[in-house]
Amino acid sequence: MSLITFMAMDFWRNLRNVGNSFFVIMLPTALYIFFGVNTGWADESIGDGNVSAWTMIAMASYGAAMATTSLAGAAAVELQQGWGRQLAMTSLPHGMYVVSKTVTALIMAACAVLVLNVVGLFTTAEMSAAVWWQTAALTVVGSLPFALYGLVAGLAFRSDAAVGAASGFLVILGFLGNAFAPLDGALLDFARFTPMYGTVALARYPLTDGDGVTMAGAQYTDPLWGILLNVAAWALVFGVLCLLLGRRATMRR
Amino acid sequence: MDITPHTSDRPPMVAVDSVTRSFHGAGGRIVAVDDVSLTVEPGEVVAVLGPNGAGKTTLLDMVLGLNTPERGSIRVDGITPKRAVQGSRVGALLQTGGLLPDLTVAETVRMIAALHRHHTPVEQVMDTAGLTGIAGRRVGKCSGGEQQRVKFALALLPDPALLILDEPTAGMDVSARHEFWQRMHAQADAGTTVLFATHYLEEAEQFARRTVLMGAGRIIADGPTDEVRAQAASAHVTVTWSPTAEQLDGLPAVASSEVIGTQVRMRTDDADTLARHLLTRTDAYGITVTQASLEEAFMTLTGAETTKETQR
Repeated sequence: MSLITFMAMDFWRNLRNVGNSFFVIMLPTALYIFFGVNTGWADESIGDGNVSAWTMIAMASYGAAMATTSLAGAAAVELQQGWGRQLAMTSLPHGMYVVSKTVTALIMAACAVLVLNVVGLFTTAEMSAAVWWQTAALTVVGSLPFALYGLVAGLAFRSDAAVGAASGFLVILGFLGNAFAPLDGALLDFARFTPMYGTVALARYPLTDGDGVTMAGAQYTDPLWGILLNVAAWALVFGVLCLLLGRRATMRR
Repeated sequence: MDITPHTSDRPPMVAVDSVTRSFHGAGGRIVAVDDVSLTVEPGEVVAVLGPNGAGKTTLLDMVLGLNTPERGSIRVDGITPKRAVQGSRVGALLQTGGLLPDLTVAETVRMIAALHRHHTPVEQVMDTAGLTGIAGRRVGKCSGGEQQRVKFALALLPDPALLILDEPTAGMDVSARHEFWQRMHAQADAGTTVLFATHYLEEAEQFARRTVLMGAGRIIADGPTDEVRAQAASAHVTVTWSPTAEQLDGLPAVASSEVIGTQVRMRTDDADTLARHLLTRTDAYGITVTQASLEEAFMTLTGAETTKETQR
């Protein structure tokens, strides 16, 4: 048995899916080049780096969340459409499928993060080397709750279209997550409770220690406990929904 | 748990012992498999024949460990179904199994091969299943029959001692169906035990020496295919006749009858007796006798079962 072969083939299948890799890798890269490189404020310093790096991290977070959402969602749909029964006829131990899919999704997320970081490195992003590694790692880790988010969509609606819609909705969550444009006032206060906010803020933490600037130029600081609480709370919400939906799926049989 | 006693030194390939399984349905609990016992010895080729909803898929799913019995026990080659499957002793072509449309045929076989502890070389399996010519084709672009062949290849991968096929020729045209059974013959001749579900009597007749007839979750008949077919045999007798109600009721061996104008159409399990009676004791004439289809035979057999159940 070669789980590595299985995972490599599954990864390649997802990577060559143009729709997938476009939204996961190319779109965030393009967004970064538009809003993080070719702008007047790209070189302004923030924390241990510059605004270009600040933007790059958010785009990488967005791409990584897209990766885990779409792969986990697709996995749920595949399992329910009979591929799971096909896999049950092999020596694959129960539960190893989840592990293999998680690893595949994380590698896909890491691809998005890697491409964004390399583009950032060769353009205008500036951070100290240590911050660079820390933020890249946290970007990948922070995308994990979105695997659960994708699973919820896949389990609830059992269709690729629903998973696509959930991935598309990430644009709105990304906007509320302060990923695309600095938010202000009441919107910022509300945004702190949305799922992408924690993920993006966690990835940016090594750069600014939680400091941020609003569109109007006002300074604010997000405490680390607040960021972690956001990530943990949403992971819990999505996780519980997965369990409930999973139970419903088995009860129907 | 004890294993069903038998004469040979090997355990039976499949030993189903008093198994019951029910599901939540629209109108309460539906008993899909009702106290079924079945033993298949190594090397046997057995057809499970029955109409849709007879419980064939539920039974085979339990033999594969995809489902667990509520009552009773199942052993495959002496061990639990799950362990037999994990140990690559069982290959299955599932009716409800799904393939990934964006993989090519060859990729699908290679991907599943990677998950077996031991497997037959991919090229050999693809050749046996007749996939070499379409190896590079996306599964989503394959016809229903071609997808069945891909599933067949996946079933052959573990080089199984037991092959389980659930409606293997669904979606195939007549020639593809013929070709499929040709390939299966080769497998069976090599000593593989085959247990397959079908609702085509011809498939059971041509391929299985033994047939298990299922209806409404129970085994109605189990024996050599010829005998089971004779048991399931049913015929239509049509005559020109205007009988009275007493005359109709007095007919022997009639399962059901209907009067259409001057014609009377009857279903019977003993056409000879009925015909003799009609021609010698009544003024009926213009008799025709036609063999009923398997579906109708099932209605005769399982209809009786259902009546019994309601009486209980």
